[in-house]
Amino acid sequence: MAFFIKRGSKKYPYITARVRAMKSKLMPREVYPKLMNMDIAEITRFIEESEYKENVDELAQQYNDIDLFEHALNQNLARTYRKLQRISRDEPNYLITEYLRHWDIWNIKTILRGKNYGADLEEILDTVVAAGQLGYRQLTEIAGMNSIEDIKAALDLTPYYPVIEDYDGAMLSDVENNLDKLYYSRLLASLGSTKAEKLSLKFIRTEIDIKNLKTLFRTKKADLDKTIIFELLIPGGIEIKTADLNKLASLQWSDFLKALEDYSYWSELSDVVSAEMDSLKDMEAVLDKYALAFASKISHYYPLSILPIFDYMLNKELEVRNIRTIVRGKEAQLADETIRKQLVI
Amino acid sequence: MTVQDVKPTRSELIELKRKIKLSESGHKLLKMKRDGLILEFFEILKKAKTVRAELDEQFISSMEKINVAKSVEGIVTVKSTAFSFKDTPRLEVESKNVMGVVVPKIESSSIKKDINERGYGIIGTSSRIDEAAEAYENLVDKIILAAEIETTIKKLLDDIEKTKRRVNALEFKVIPELSEARDFIILRLDEMERENTFRLKRIKA
Repeated sequence: MAFFIKRGSKKYPYITARVRAMKSKLMPREVYPKLMNMDIAEITRFIEESEYKENVDELAQQYNDIDLFEHALNQNLARTYRKLQRISRDEPNYLITEYLRHWDIWNIKTILRGKNYGADLEEILDTVVAAGQLGYRQLTEIAGMNSIEDIKAALDLTPYYPVIEDYDGAMLSDVENNLDKLYYSRLLASLGSTKAEKLSLKFIRTEIDIKNLKTLFRTKKADLDKTIIFELLIPGGIEIKTADLNKLASLQWSDFLKALEDYSYWSELSDVVSAEMDSLKDMEAVLDKYALAFASKISHYYPLSILPIFDYMLNKELEVRNIRTIVRGKEAQLADETIRKQLVI
Repeated sequence: MTVQDVKPTRSELIELKRKIKLSESGHKLLKMKRDGLILEFFEILKKAKTVRAELDEQFISSMEKINVAKSVEGIVTVKSTAFSFKDTPRLEVESKNVMGVVVPKIESSSIKKDINERGYGIIGTSSRIDEAAEAYENLVDKIILAAEIETTIKKLLDDIEKTKRRVNALEFKVIPELSEARDFIILRLDEMERENTFRLKRIKA
């Protein structure tokens, strides 16, 4: 499909100008410490006076309390992403669509999980976020289907079909992992060879490194076999190449940590990683912060490229995540320090 | 059994003596059983307290982990991931004997799983989900252990109470009544013997 897309920076001035305007509406990082000092009632008022007001009002009859905010945040995110798809043309539209495919993948996974569990339509639709190419109506139709065969038939014209083609209701985790791998392989294949695209490729490949690092930490901690671990790693990382992945997958936990010192990510990880670490959540938050900082840094190099758009999409997703972390964390009475460490700002 | 109901005969006396002997040995045995059960109860109580404390601790930790997952990943993600768990834990309840008391022994399977066996894909999820799932697996394990121990305690308590009632009934009702009846028969038999002797003397005179 990439061959039919009109390439070139001529397509970017309009969309990047719109994205700049949209980015200016994102919450500045100074807001989060203020939110941390507010109680739930104050945060509620704050959200109701923000960009999310319309979504909160719209969903107020359907949900209550914190669930209302979460669904409003998700709806806003989905609409923002769909708007980006709507206002973009040609190459930017193609790249945005490819980047947002992880939401389609998320929704397909959710529907298959729901069917696997025997959840009803309402429950499945509650967990769907229509932020990708598949719209809410299309997802409702798919979720309403009774058999796996019908769902597969409904997706036969999508790029996901080859992965779900053989799915018969067993080993859903393999299908999920293969869908995620498909997402990154398509994303890598979608980017061309201009300077801006090379930099975008660097961004995506850094994201792959981060994903692989998280997978390595989780699977090493769980003491899985190296062949199983290797199957779960995504090829195409910028710094951690396939040979490195193979090596890291076969190391013991302590040797694995030592081996990580050879990579640039270690400077980020060294403070939160140790041989005795109980939880990996701080490690994941640190890597997410790194990805955000990297995206912000490179977004200024080529203002008329996909980079500022990727940066905006990442920032928007993290804004939603940060607000949700604060609101839910406050509601669950998590320690301020725990909440603060999970914020990606 | 009141004294009036007792037939003052030798055979009855022999029967009563046999019953008293049996009751006394039964009383001794039941007292030993009660003491044994109490000792066993305190042993299990210690274990129950430890398991309860661990359960409380595990519950707090599980709640914190699920709250972190709900906060960072969102309820939507947690709910969606939960859909991928299809297997329900299997429990097999067997029974074992503690000093004559039948107590349950619960064997569980399919609770603890490796992260690649939980049903969800690893690439698209996070360690917060793993940690919440693992914490809840441990919690379910602890709940099953606590259920086994606490049911054992309940059954032991019931049996201690039952044995105590039996011991008290034997000690304060059955044995005293039988002894009273035995004394009454002895008294009546002695009296009858005296009457007989007196009657014989009167006839001779």
